[in-house]
Amino acid sequence: MLKQELETTFDNITIRMEKKNQLELSITKDGIMSVLSFLKNKGYDHLHVISCVDWIDDKQLELVYILSAYMKQDVPGETEQLNILLKTRIGRDDPKYITSIALFPAAEPYEREIHEMFGVDFLGHPRLTPLLLERDYDIPPFRKDFDTKQYVDDVFGSVPSVEGEDKN
Amino acid sequence: MRELELYYGPQHLGMVGNFSLTLQVEGDKILKASANPGYLHRGFEKLMEKRSWIKNFPMVCRINVIEPDSMEMIYSMGVEKLAGIEVPERAHFIRSIFLELARVGSHLFGLWAYANMLGFDTVAQWAMYHRDLVLDLFEELTGGRVYHIYIWPGGVRRDFPEGFKDKIVKTLHTIGGCVPDYDSTFFNNRLFYERACNVGKVSRAEAMEMGGVGQVIRATGMAYDIRKVEPYAAYDRVPWNVPTRKEGDAFSRIWIVRDEMIESVHMIFKLLDEMPEGNVYNRIPNPFKWRIPEGEAYVRCESSRGELGLYMVSDGGKEPYRAHFRTPSYSHGLTVLEKALEGANISDVGNIMMSLYVVAPEIDR
Repeated sequence: MLKQELETTFDNITIRMEKKNQLELSITKDGIMSVLSFLKNKGYDHLHVISCVDWIDDKQLELVYILSAYMKQDVPGETEQLNILLKTRIGRDDPKYITSIALFPAAEPYEREIHEMFGVDFLGHPRLTPLLLERDYDIPPFRKDFDTKQYVDDVFGSVPSVEGEDKN
Repeated sequence: MRELELYYGPQHLGMVGNFSLTLQVEGDKILKASANPGYLHRGFEKLMEKRSWIKNFPMVCRINVIEPDSMEMIYSMGVEKLAGIEVPERAHFIRSIFLELARVGSHLFGLWAYANMLGFDTVAQWAMYHRDLVLDLFEELTGGRVYHIYIWPGGVRRDFPEGFKDKIVKTLHTIGGCVPDYDSTFFNNRLFYERACNVGKVSRAEAMEMGGVGQVIRATGMAYDIRKVEPYAAYDRVPWNVPTRKEGDAFSRIWIVRDEMIESVHMIFKLLDEMPEGNVYNRIPNPFKWRIPEGEAYVRCESSRGELGLYMVSDGGKEPYRAHFRTPSYSHGLTVLEKALEGANISDVGNIMMSLYVVAPEIDR
C-alpha cells in the first residue's frame, strides 16, 4: 500500500523489497526531503540513523536514511514493522547536501559525524564542529581511499619499537 | 550573575566512562550543555572493513564494554540476514536466555554506577557482587567473564553444559532473594526519591523527536521494546510484559531498570521450561573463504540500553563493505542529554546522565 502511494506521488523513485520487513527506496538527490516529510506525515516518525557509504568505484557517496514507525499502530493499514532505507547518491568531490534537522532533530549528531568522517557539508546545520576526532586529516578518515595502515606508519612509525632496540 | 564555562569530565566522580561535557553555568544553574565524545573512538567501523566476517567478532563485542552480548547478537543477525542463514530453534532459546542474563548483569552494573553516584555505596557493592555471580555463569558457559563471543552466525558456539540450567536457576534465586533488601534500602528510600523525582524530565514528544529509545521512551509511557515490536530469537515464544511508567524523570527510568531485571528473570525461567532439544548450530561455510552475496541489511535488537541497530553492506567480498552501528547511547548521550541538562542544577549532572544510561564507548565506537 505504501509502495503504491510512493510510486504515484514521486517520479524517479526505485522501490525494492528483497528482505523481510526492509523496504529500500532510491531517489535522486533533490527528492530526499520531500520523501522524508511524506513518510513522517504517514507516521514513520522514528529516524534510526543516517549512514554514509563510500562507493569509490562509482565516484559517489551514498547517504542512507533509515526510519520506521515507533509503533506500527501509528500507521493506518500497517501490518508489519517496516524498516525503510531511503538512499540517495551525491558526487564524491566536494560533496554538499542539505540538513534534515528541521524534520528530525535526531539527525544532528549523525550529520555531524558524516561531515567529519566523509567530508559531506550539510548546508544549514548549526554546528558542523568535529565530533569524535581531534586531529586534522587530509582525506576524511572513513573514505575508502584513506589507508589506516599507511596513516599509522606515517604518524607513529618513527617511534622505534622496544623489541627492535633489544636486538641492536 | 556572571556566566562561566565549566568543564565536567572526563575524569570526574559523577562520570563513568570517558566522556565530557562543557557546561555554560550561571551560579549553579546550567544554561547550555554540549557533549564532547571521542575519548574512546577506536574507529571500529573502519577497521571492520579490513577484516573477514568472522574475524570481526572480537571488535564488535568491544563496542559496548558493559554488555557485549547484544553486540555479538546484532552482528550475527546482520550476517545471517545478508547470507540467508537459518538458526536452529534451540539456539534461538539459548540466545534469548543468554541475552537476558546479560541484561540482568548489565542492569546491575548500571545500578552500581547510579547508586554509587548518589552515595548509596552499600547498594552499589551489592549490585557489583550480584553482577559477579552472573559473570561466573558466563565464565562456565563460554570461558570468558566479560567478552564471550558465544553467539555467532548460525547459532551459538556450544550447548549448555550438564547441570547448567540448575545453576542459572540457583544464581537467579540468590539475586532475586535480595530484591526486598534492594527495595527497602534503595528503591523505596526517601533520599532516592528526593534526589531523582522530577529531575531530568524528558517528555514523550521530546523523546520521540530526538530519537529516544529504551528506558527513556518507556519512562514516558510508551511500551516501545524491539523484543515486542520486531521479535527476534525466542522472545515471541513466551509471554512477558514491557514495564513502563508515566513520569519521564530519572526516578521512573531507574525504576524501569529494576522492573526490567525482574521481568528478565521471570522470562529466563519460562524460556528454560519451554526450551526444545536439538542442535544449537547450523554449519556455516569455511570462515576463511567465506564470501557473502552482495546486498545490504538493517537489523535491530533490544540491548539493555534500548534499540540497537546495525546497517551493513556487502559487496560480495570477504569483508563487510560498510558497517554502521546505531547505538542507543548515541542519541541519548548527544541529543537527549544536552536537552535534559538545560536549566538543571550542576549537582544533578551525574544523576541525569546515569539515569539516561549513557555508556561512552557505545557513542564513540
